[in-house]
Amino acid sequence: MTNEQGRHLEAINQVKGKHMLRIRRSTIVLLLGWFALIGAGIAHASEAPPVKLNTTADHSKFKELQKQFKSGPEVTKACLSCHTEAARQVHRTKHWTWEFLNPDNQQRLGKKNVMNNFCISISQNYPFCTGCHVGYGWKDKNFDFTSEANVDCLVCHDTTGTYKKPAGLAGNPVVGKPMEMPPGSGKIVNPVDLARVAQKIGKTSRDTCGACHFFGGGGDGVKHGDMDSSLAAPDPEVDIHMDATGLDFTCSTCHKTSSHDVPGSRYKPTATEKHSAYIRGKADQGNPATCQACHGNTPHKTEILLKQVRMNTHAEKMACQTCHIPYFARGGVPTKLSWDWSTAGKLDANGKQFTIKDEHGHPTYASHKGDFVLGENVKPEYRWFNGDIKYTLLGDKVEKSDTPTPINRIDGSPVDGRSMIWPMKIMRGVQPFDPVNKTLVMPHTAGPGGYWKELKWESAIADGMQNMGAPFSGKVDFIKTEMYWPITHMVASKEKVVTCAECHTVDSRLKGIDGIYMPGYSKFGWLERVGWLIALAALIGVLIHGGARIYLSLRKAG
Amino acid sequence: MKHSITLPILTAAALFVSTAHAYDADWKRGRVYYRSVCTSCHVASPIGQINPSGRTKAEWTAYLNADKHAKGKDGVKQYVSKAYRASIKSGNKAAEKFADVPDQELFDDIKSFLLRSAKDGESPASCS
Repeated sequence: MTNEQGRHLEAINQVKGKHMLRIRRSTIVLLLGWFALIGAGIAHASEAPPVKLNTTADHSKFKELQKQFKSGPEVTKACLSCHTEAARQVHRTKHWTWEFLNPDNQQRLGKKNVMNNFCISISQNYPFCTGCHVGYGWKDKNFDFTSEANVDCLVCHDTTGTYKKPAGLAGNPVVGKPMEMPPGSGKIVNPVDLARVAQKIGKTSRDTCGACHFFGGGGDGVKHGDMDSSLAAPDPEVDIHMDATGLDFTCSTCHKTSSHDVPGSRYKPTATEKHSAYIRGKADQGNPATCQACHGNTPHKTEILLKQVRMNTHAEKMACQTCHIPYFARGGVPTKLSWDWSTAGKLDANGKQFTIKDEHGHPTYASHKGDFVLGENVKPEYRWFNGDIKYTLLGDKVEKSDTPTPINRIDGSPVDGRSMIWPMKIMRGVQPFDPVNKTLVMPHTAGPGGYWKELKWESAIADGMQNMGAPFSGKVDFIKTEMYWPITHMVASKEKVVTCAECHTVDSRLKGIDGIYMPGYSKFGWLERVGWLIALAALIGVLIHGGARIYLSLRKAG
Repeated sequence: MKHSITLPILTAAALFVSTAHAYDADWKRGRVYYRSVCTSCHVASPIGQINPSGRTKAEWTAYLNADKHAKGKDGVKQYVSKAYRASIKSGNKAAEKFADVPDQELFDDIKSFLLRSAKDGESPASCS
């Protein structure tokens, strides 16, 4: 080996040595990183691994749902491959049939049959109204109510908040590609990822129920007054039971559902409950959605016995809601209090439809709908109510007068033994009717040929009535109506209930309610005089007695 | 040598990915926290309510990733941390209710809510 070769070898060895050192360092760093990550993993694991608490099955793991779905019914078929009885259970419910036969008076009710004084009825408006049907494809009166695939599982069980059924698509969501809704509006609705929604399904929630029930009447809070989007995640001031940071009730906590049938009916409400709170295992469970189902009939507990007795005595004649829902529409969302269809049809200077809005941006007039009155924090009106409701149905005779025609008549009295004083939203309206046949009418409003587009009552009503097989004279007039909505949601905290002084005063909340004596409000002339005479006699007695005692003691002393 | 390096890397990566992806963000919990904690401070000062729909998804993502609150004076994540929740829970029911939720989960929940409620999200939402 020459000297040069020796130096070269030495140089190579030096490089090799440095390289090996670098590799050793890298390995140490990597191993340290590895241990650090494992450590992080262990630390993370010690914080308790994430687990789904609202379901026992992670549906994303099911092969049946790991595919691209092209329609809602396709998803339903996948659901039914495991949940074999679900669709037929749904078929038996009001949510599917939109029908209810009142067993007391045999009136056939339900959305399919009744009218209201909001958008009036579903006749010929099916593709729009049935955006809130728990099914797919109800576009006309020939809908197949026996189809299992047409049951919409996702609308109630979506947890993503992305599942939407726009009005106009007969209960179908937008799938495949974006769609302009309504056509020509420039508003683009993106398609729903059905696979994602299906894989994440869960229990019903305030959001799923609210997707329809908060928006009844065509907009947020419009119809009910005690239900709007503020209940999706409310604070205790809006609803003490649903308070998202407190009790966090979902709708089904009270509307305890069995076999997909949701209890709690607006067509046959439970106005009076005479029993104590329901106990598990008790055979007759009745309506689980009432206040008494949990709180019983003597719900008030205070340290002052007399006060407790007085409050529970009130509960014998007054619905819980009367005191515990001091105002409705409390969540910052206004509700409609009246709707005057007779003023609809006006056009602006350019011959176009127009809208007038209030300072908050809520419409108070629209050419295609007429005038509205909205309200927030509305004090209810009060009525005796025993749960019996009779509807004015298509074909029932009505008379135009200053007295509003009741869309629904509530029954109740202080002496029938089954009535309570209930808070009500009374929706007042002026709506089209047939002055010759003297009946209310069902106009075709939404979609092509409907009133909202054409502003022609005669053709719109003729179309709607023909669809129902009902006669229409061709004449149109307008009639005052009113509709009762018992108030039962938006229960306030006990600190915010109606105070004693709001009823026991001259300007009482219960002004006009007959059959009760309310100290501070009620005036019975003879009773008042007798009372004052007794008080005066007692005062005179005290003065005489006192005077006599003083006189006698002075005489004894002197 | 090559294998001895690759194996720990892959194992570590797999472990990291599995723990990182295991959590399925709950936008509803994020909604409650955002409205009850974030909004409760932002109602009055210094800049009033911040509606989720006031920003796009990209803007929210950038904001949350930057983790700069009050123009960088502090971080967003600290207002989601357990320590912060513990400090306000006596006067804030949401902080009390979610006191034990891991920081990253709650942060993901809020992010999920903000992205779906953004101007271009699936369901643009206001503070209330």
